[in-house]
Amino acid sequence: MMTDQTLISGTPQVKRKWYQVIDPITKLLFILDMTLLSFASPNLLLQVGLILVATLLLLFSKLNSTTFKALGFSLFLIVTMLIIQGLFYSHNQTVLFSVLGISFYKEGLIYATMLGCRVLVIILTSGFFMVTTSISENAAYLEQSGLSYKTVYVLMSVCYILPEMMRNMRKIQQAQKVRGTNPQKTLIQKLKSVLPVLIPLVIKTLDQSMARSISLQLRGFDNPNRTVKTSQQYHLSRMLHISLTGLAILLIGWKIWTKINGL
Amino acid sequence: MKTEPIHRTSMWKFKLSAATMTLIPAAVGINYVAKALAEGLKLPVWLGSLGTFLASMLAGPVAGAISGFINNVIYGLTLSPISTVYAITSIGIGIAVGVLHANGWFSSARRVFVSAIIIAIVSAVISTPLNVIFWGGQTGIAWGDSLFAVMVANHAPVWLASFTDEFVLDILDKVCVAYLAFFIYRQLPQRMVHFFRDDK
Repeated sequence: MMTDQTLISGTPQVKRKWYQVIDPITKLLFILDMTLLSFASPNLLLQVGLILVATLLLLFSKLNSTTFKALGFSLFLIVTMLIIQGLFYSHNQTVLFSVLGISFYKEGLIYATMLGCRVLVIILTSGFFMVTTSISENAAYLEQSGLSYKTVYVLMSVCYILPEMMRNMRKIQQAQKVRGTNPQKTLIQKLKSVLPVLIPLVIKTLDQSMARSISLQLRGFDNPNRTVKTSQQYHLSRMLHISLTGLAILLIGWKIWTKINGL
Repeated sequence: MKTEPIHRTSMWKFKLSAATMTLIPAAVGINYVAKALAEGLKLPVWLGSLGTFLASMLAGPVAGAISGFINNVIYGLTLSPISTVYAITSIGIGIAVGVLHANGWFSSARRVFVSAIIIAIVSAVISTPLNVIFWGGQTGIAWGDSLFAVMVANHAPVWLASFTDEFVLDILDKVCVAYLAFFIYRQLPQRMVHFFRDDK
């Protein structure tokens, strides 16, 4: 969840772990490269290799529930994909096995496995980013690397507003329940029951936004002489950026080349 | 006190003012909470674009598009990584809502219905290629996917099956969200509407 304190505050530590000396942009480029590698070839062995690399990275950094939640949802989808493509994929020819008279085809299963592997590669590598970078670290780094502080503010304030909104929602829901609820059977009834919660919530949220906006202006957020907080140092970030970007360009180029030549 | 006449600037003109800067995170929050509410009530719709709709209606297509984009990026980096690529869909939705609203297509209940259909088409057209690339054409919603399975089993092209799958889900979702946004927008205090519209 986003309310996770470690995500929000980014606990200050004296001795930094190996994944904390890698800067966020390098991690994002790494996600991009892994995704491109996974799309570069339909070879299943390569996919398994990439999944292994990502899993090892996760195991050696830290594991938490966020990755498992993301995995849970996609695993369900991958299973339905295996069933649908295994049964109905348009290039299906060879029957692999039959269950209760229903035949599963080899081509469809391979196709679905490949898509599933790609999804897993993306989720696991992004999982590495999610568990190893804190929101405040991202904010400081993004500003350091030249993004305007206004954009950084917009991006980062979401993470602080959400827990507050969830609290407001629970309060409003309780208040509406005390007043009594209507039956909620049909879709229309259910949608109507959403309104008494959503309208006060939206108005409250926008009201708080107005207050925030006015206080930002009063504190001189637009002041050109703003001082920037100095951020921590990272190892080899420049070299890593260049090589990872180079790899990404190479992979895209190779993919286009093989597409043009019909390989 | 001298009052200046209100002069409405072009809807495409965009400045990241303090008002928009706080509206965008709020819109992302509304998206998130509405989605959580829909999941809690087991509604067959997502409602996850309500905030994007409201941001577009309040501050124009650019603000809506940015809200949609940031929504998916944040969602992708914290909960489900694949949803990051659907940021393109959210940008499309934000622009469509903003343009329709600026041209008066959110002024009456009947017009809202037409808007909802247009927005659903925009959303489905952008999402379908993404569904095909990442999920072989599926959407992950059970009854939409069973429709997809039936069509593929009857040798319909994957693109058509995937578009139908996405479109039936989108039309239901966007009609619900459009009416919710329409009702909520009408309940908003006028000072709020003017504040975020940034009339000068």
